[in-house]
Amino acid sequence: MPFLQAAIRRCRHGALLLIQIGLFCLLSLVCHWFATWAHLPIPGSVLGLGILLILLISKLIPERAVQLGAAWLIGELLLFFIPPVISIIKYEGLFEQYGVNIMFTLVIGSICVMVGTGFVVDRVFRFERQLNIKKHARRHVKVA
Amino acid sequence: MADSKVMDFIMSQTSLALISLLLTVFCYFGAKGLYKRHKVWWLAPILFAPVMIILLVFNLDIPLPTYFEYTHWLMAMLAPATIAFALPIYRERKLICQYPLTITLGVVAGLFLGMISTWLLVKFIPLPAELSKSLLVRSVSTPFAMEATGAFGGVPELTAMMVLITGIIGMLVCEPLFKLMRIRTSLGKGVALGASAHGAGAAKATELGQQEGVIASLTMIFIGIAMVLGAPVFALIFI
Repeated sequence: MPFLQAAIRRCRHGALLLIQIGLFCLLSLVCHWFATWAHLPIPGSVLGLGILLILLISKLIPERAVQLGAAWLIGELLLFFIPPVISIIKYEGLFEQYGVNIMFTLVIGSICVMVGTGFVVDRVFRFERQLNIKKHARRHVKVA
Repeated sequence: MADSKVMDFIMSQTSLALISLLLTVFCYFGAKGLYKRHKVWWLAPILFAPVMIILLVFNLDIPLPTYFEYTHWLMAMLAPATIAFALPIYRERKLICQYPLTITLGVVAGLFLGMISTWLLVKFIPLPAELSKSLLVRSVSTPFAMEATGAFGGVPELTAMMVLITGIIGMLVCEPLFKLMRIRTSLGKGVALGASAHGAGAAKATELGQQEGVIASLTMIFIGIAMVLGAPVFALIFI
């Protein structure tokens, strides 16, 4: 019964996804609570990111235990920030009055960042790639 | 009689709040599905979904507090989503160890260019203070930007909007800019997109190539973390 098997697989996938998302929410809540309680200068979400990264690197949590949930949360990120964007209705006047200025600032600013970063990274990358190739070659010579 | 009761229910605030939530989710997934089938820039979910929802909320006369009654739960998911960024960092640890210098310099350049360019531009372009402050974190991914903007005195909602527009601009201008500036390496393109256009840039970078996409996401995450951690210090410099 391939149809039933497919349905069961889909159910299991959905349940796993929900559990993993739930775990992410739980970790986020605990970290948020701890960061406020201890008056930490870093927000709970970034603290949680650090904790999860340490857990993953030290192999205390296997990658596949969080893989599904993480992929979903990152994949649907846009959905989560649509609501704050909608509240610009409140600032309608501001955008009517300063719309052109805002767009000008954003476009010029974005071009600056993209060109500047791209230019720097393009050069540094070529340099570091050469460096890596040399390092690699040296290692091979030693082995030989 | 029955009809008016049904109408009363539909027009009640609770159901309007519920409609808002369904509307948001439906528009988002609808736009996503449409964009998958037709790759036209104005159908990109980052543009199409917010515009559709704003038009609908405006025309249905849904008051903002009602709109937020349930949809603020969607916003609450930004924090778990931030934590989820640990996984791409873990997965690409090899790439990070291979090009530590490139990535570090890219992150530093992107972070400071973003703030300095805005800081200089708002000196010459008249904008209200709340807006110019919200603009400082505009090239950082939304969850980080909304967290960091408070340190600069920005408004989270305005920041989210600025971040969104920045992402759309980055997606549109990247290809001609790369050609013009002769940025050809995959890391150059990836870091530039991640630094200037965050999530939207990472999505665009994935269309350009796999490595571009990975490196764009990594840059975006590192710049976001650096921005949140450094915000109190940056605020002293730029405000």
